[in-house]
Formats: sequence, C-alpha cells, structure tokens
Amino acid sequence: MRATLKNPYIYLLFVLPTIALYFLFFIYPMLTSFYYGFTNYNGLNTQDFIGLDNFVNAFQDPDFRNSILNNIYILLFSCCIQVPLIVIFSLLISNVKRLQGFYKTTVFMPSILSTSVIGILWGYIYDPDVGLINSILKSLGLEPIYFLADMKWALWSILITNAWQWMGFYIVLILAAILAIPRDIEEAAMIDGATGVQRAWYLTVPLIKPVINVVIMLSIAGALRVVDIVLVMTGGGPAGATDVMASYMVNQAIKYGDYGYGSALSIIIFAIALVLTALYQIVIVRRQEKVEY
Amino acid sequence: MAANVRKSIPHLMMLVYVVIILAPFLFILFSSFKSSNIEIAAHPFGLPDKWVFDNYKEAWVKAKINVYFFNSLYLAVSAAVVGVLMAAATSFALTRMKFKRTSAAIYQFVLIGMLIPGNVLFIAQYLLVTDLHILNTHWSLFLPYTAGALPFSVLLIAAFMRAIPNELEEAAIVDGMGVLRMFAQVILPLTVPALVTVFIVNFLGNWNEYLLSFFFISKDALRTLPTGMVQFRDAFQMNYALVCTGIVFSVVPVLVIYMFLQRKIIEGLTAGSVKG
Repeated sequence: MRATLKNPYIYLLFVLPTIALYFLFFIYPMLTSFYYGFTNYNGLNTQDFIGLDNFVNAFQDPDFRNSILNNIYILLFSCCIQVPLIVIFSLLISNVKRLQGFYKTTVFMPSILSTSVIGILWGYIYDPDVGLINSILKSLGLEPIYFLADMKWALWSILITNAWQWMGFYIVLILAAILAIPRDIEEAAMIDGATGVQRAWYLTVPLIKPVINVVIMLSIAGALRVVDIVLVMTGGGPAGATDVMASYMVNQAIKYGDYGYGSALSIIIFAIALVLTALYQIVIVRRQEKVEY
Repeated sequence: MAANVRKSIPHLMMLVYVVIILAPFLFILFSSFKSSNIEIAAHPFGLPDKWVFDNYKEAWVKAKINVYFFNSLYLAVSAAVVGVLMAAATSFALTRMKFKRTSAAIYQFVLIGMLIPGNVLFIAQYLLVTDLHILNTHWSLFLPYTAGALPFSVLLIAAFMRAIPNELEEAAIVDGMGVLRMFAQVILPLTVPALVTVFIVNFLGNWNEYLLSFFFISKDALRTLPTGMVQFRDAFQMNYALVCTGIVFSVVPVLVIYMFLQRKIIEGLTAGSVKG
C-alpha cells in the first residue's frame, strides 16, 4: 500500500526540475560570484586570480565608501524614523472601527506597485517645472527646488519616496499583530482606568514587540536592497549623492565591464547583510524575554 | 462633545496619510488628460480644461506601451504559472511521498535561497545568461523569475500540504489511484488556496521586476513595462502628459487586480515576509 508513495521515478520527476533550475540560478551564481570576486575578470581578457585585491580596493574606493554611507543613512532613516511612525499609524488604525478596512487597503496599495513606475511618478512630483511640490512652493512665492539634482535634497527625496512606497506594508504587518491580541486584556486595562495612550504604550507595544522586531529586520534587509528606485530616479547622481552599494555594483559591472570587482562588491553586500541581521538577532532579539498571552 | 473630538483625532491623522498616498495618483490621472505642460504647471490639481483622450491612443500605439504591456503580461503569467506548478510538484514529493530523509535535506537546501538577497546574484546571473546565449531573449527573464520564486513557493505550499490529513491519500490508494492521479485530482485541488496566494505573489513580483529586465533585455520590442516605462520617460521627457498616461497604463491593471483580490494579496505578501 505504501509502494504508491515510494515510487522513486515519480519522486525524481517532481523534484529534479525544481532543484536543477534552483541550482542553476541560485547556487551556481552564488558560487561563481565568490570565484569571480577573486579575479580581475572583465569579460575580455583572461581571468587572473588576484587574491584579495578587489576587496582591498573596495574599502579604499572613496565612491564605494560613499555608497556604504548612503546605505547607512537609508538604514537609520528606516529604523529610527519610519519604524516609530509605522507603529503609531498601526495603533491609530487599530483604534478605529469605521473605515478600518479602507485605511488598511489604501496604505498597503503603494507596496504592490512597480518601484520603477513609482520612481517615475515621484520624479514628476519633484519636477522643478511642473511638479506638484514645486507648484505649491511657487504659489507660496518660493523659489523652486531641484530636488533630484541638488546634492542637499537628492537623498532625502529618495528616502521619502521609499518610505511612501513601503510604510504601508509594514503598517499592515503590525496591524495584524495588534488585532490578534485578545480583547479581554485591553478591557481589563480599561476597567483599571488606563487611558488610550497608556494602553498603547504599556500594553499593546510590549505585546507586539516580536512583530516590531520582524519589521526592523525587514527594514534592515530592505535598506540594503534599495537599488531600483535609485537607478530610476537619479542613477546614483548628482555626483554619487544617492549611490547605494547595489547601484554602484551594477554600474561597475555593466558600464565598465568590471565583473571581477563587481562580484567582490556583491559579496561584501551579502556579508554586510548577514552580519547586520545576525547582530540584530543576537544583541536585541535574544535579550528580550518571550511574551505570551 | 469632548469624546467626539477625541474619537475623530485618529481619523484626522489617517486622513492626512491617505491624502499623501492618493494625491500623487490624482495628480498623474489629471495630468494624463491635459493637453500641455503649461496646463499641468498652472493648476496641478485642477481638472483638465478639456479632457484630452488623445494621449491614451498615442501612448498605447505610438509609444509602444501596448508592446511592453503584453510582454510583461505573458512573462509574468507564464513564469508565475510554471513556478507554481513546479513548486507544487516538489512540495508534494517532499511532504507526501515516503522519502523522509532525502526530502528533509532537499527542503533545507531550497530554503537557503531565501537567505540570499536577489541583487547580490545580479552580476553572476548576467554572466550566466550570457554564457547560455539567452541574453536579450525572454528566456533570460523567464528562467530567473521562475527560479527566484521557487524557495518562497515551496516554503508556503509545503506548509499547506503538510496539513492535509493522511487518510485522504490512503483512501485514494485503496481505490487504486496512481500517484500522479492522486497528485492531480486529490492533493492539488485541496491546495488551491495556497497556489492562488503564491501565484499572486509571484505574478506581482514578475510584473514589477526592474533590475534584470533593464539589463538583460536591450531590444525595444522585448522590453517589459517597468523598463519600457523608464525608456519611454527618457524619450518623451518633455511631454509630461504622455508620460503620465504611460504611468496610468501600468498602474491600473495592478490596481484592478488589487480591488478584487486585496485580501489574498495582502495575506500572501505579508506571509512571505514574516516566514522568510
């Protein structure tokens, strides 16, 4: 009777295509990245093994260091500014009865759209001649701001756009956790006379800490993954003001054909992502006691 | 009175948020019907003086939005369908067939993929598709899209299949069903909710993908919507109304799907992130 489910040919038929495709486009590229990272492969000449040169160069490359810094700004912005706002907005939505579904649907909407289309859309909003923001500035009698061409404003413009796209996604994540808290806990606090703000801060936030941690982890990963929006809106400019690690890597490889160096950069990005998420797990998540209700 | 005010504060704050989300869309929508840049600049939020529909015809045909649109559609659908079917077959083999140890190892192996951030593989995948001589063909997108969705799809579908009670397939075996028919006629129909979720997530991911499609495809006739749009913007930079029309074309299909399937979409996308 068990023989039917022990047919090795069917098993292979079901498993092999997946493994083959997955290996070819995931594992093999990962391995070749490591290999190319130690060579000076540029698509034309023979590839020579050059040891750690690419990695040494990367950390001495002022442009790459600048792009790491920009990733750090994005990371700090998402963890220190976006996450508190996300928690506040989720608490607000969880507190209303009417329109709750509408709010949820609306705030989530930008995260299902293509980042490149959002980049184009916001490019128009920032546009110095016809853009929405500058039209408002002009009607107030102010000078137009060249948001995407000005060193001072370019990164901020991208940060705002990125936040606009992704905050709703995280709000919905946290909202789901808040709505899963049993009502009687809240009611007990109400009977004890706790105000809305007190209940939110002393009751709800501690109970949803695990989800907040997930959101912070995702924000860290997201901050390192930012690339489409930069390529579409500014291409890394003006003068590298918005270059992030991934956009710098892509440009090195495609524009200059420097595949060896680009691969080394991709390994560095991977390593930074692993280290940051592992560090966050060890330092923050492990220390907190598990909440149960 | 005071209670009323206190009750409306959350609504007021949410109203600000909702306006910030929706205002850009309205701006784009109104702009797409306007005749010139001057009109857009003069009243960004006003309704158009005269509703100009020519932009839509012009963008769809002359600017080849139709080509990009159908390229995106068929790539996104085919890669998502193939990915879902492959993941379903594999999940069935891993969770229901009696090769416990091998299955556990394969499962772990596939999940490693969820640790690797997509753009880290970009250069190596670029070199790989060059070596396979499929650069500049739709295969160079179809294969990575299908492969890229596998880890998440297997994770979700396998979790779903594990919950199906054993008695069902025992009954099927007693009735003399072969393993293929059991998969197709017993397990697969029961897994439909998970398959739909995974399909939607994969479809949206493919529909929106930018990095690979921008660098792997350079023939205009093969471009997908996200990259075609960028091309389109660069070509018609000065004609804002026309570009806004292009944006409407690429956003509306997704919004229509979202209107009907919002619960499924939200559930699928958030499930993927929390588990991963």
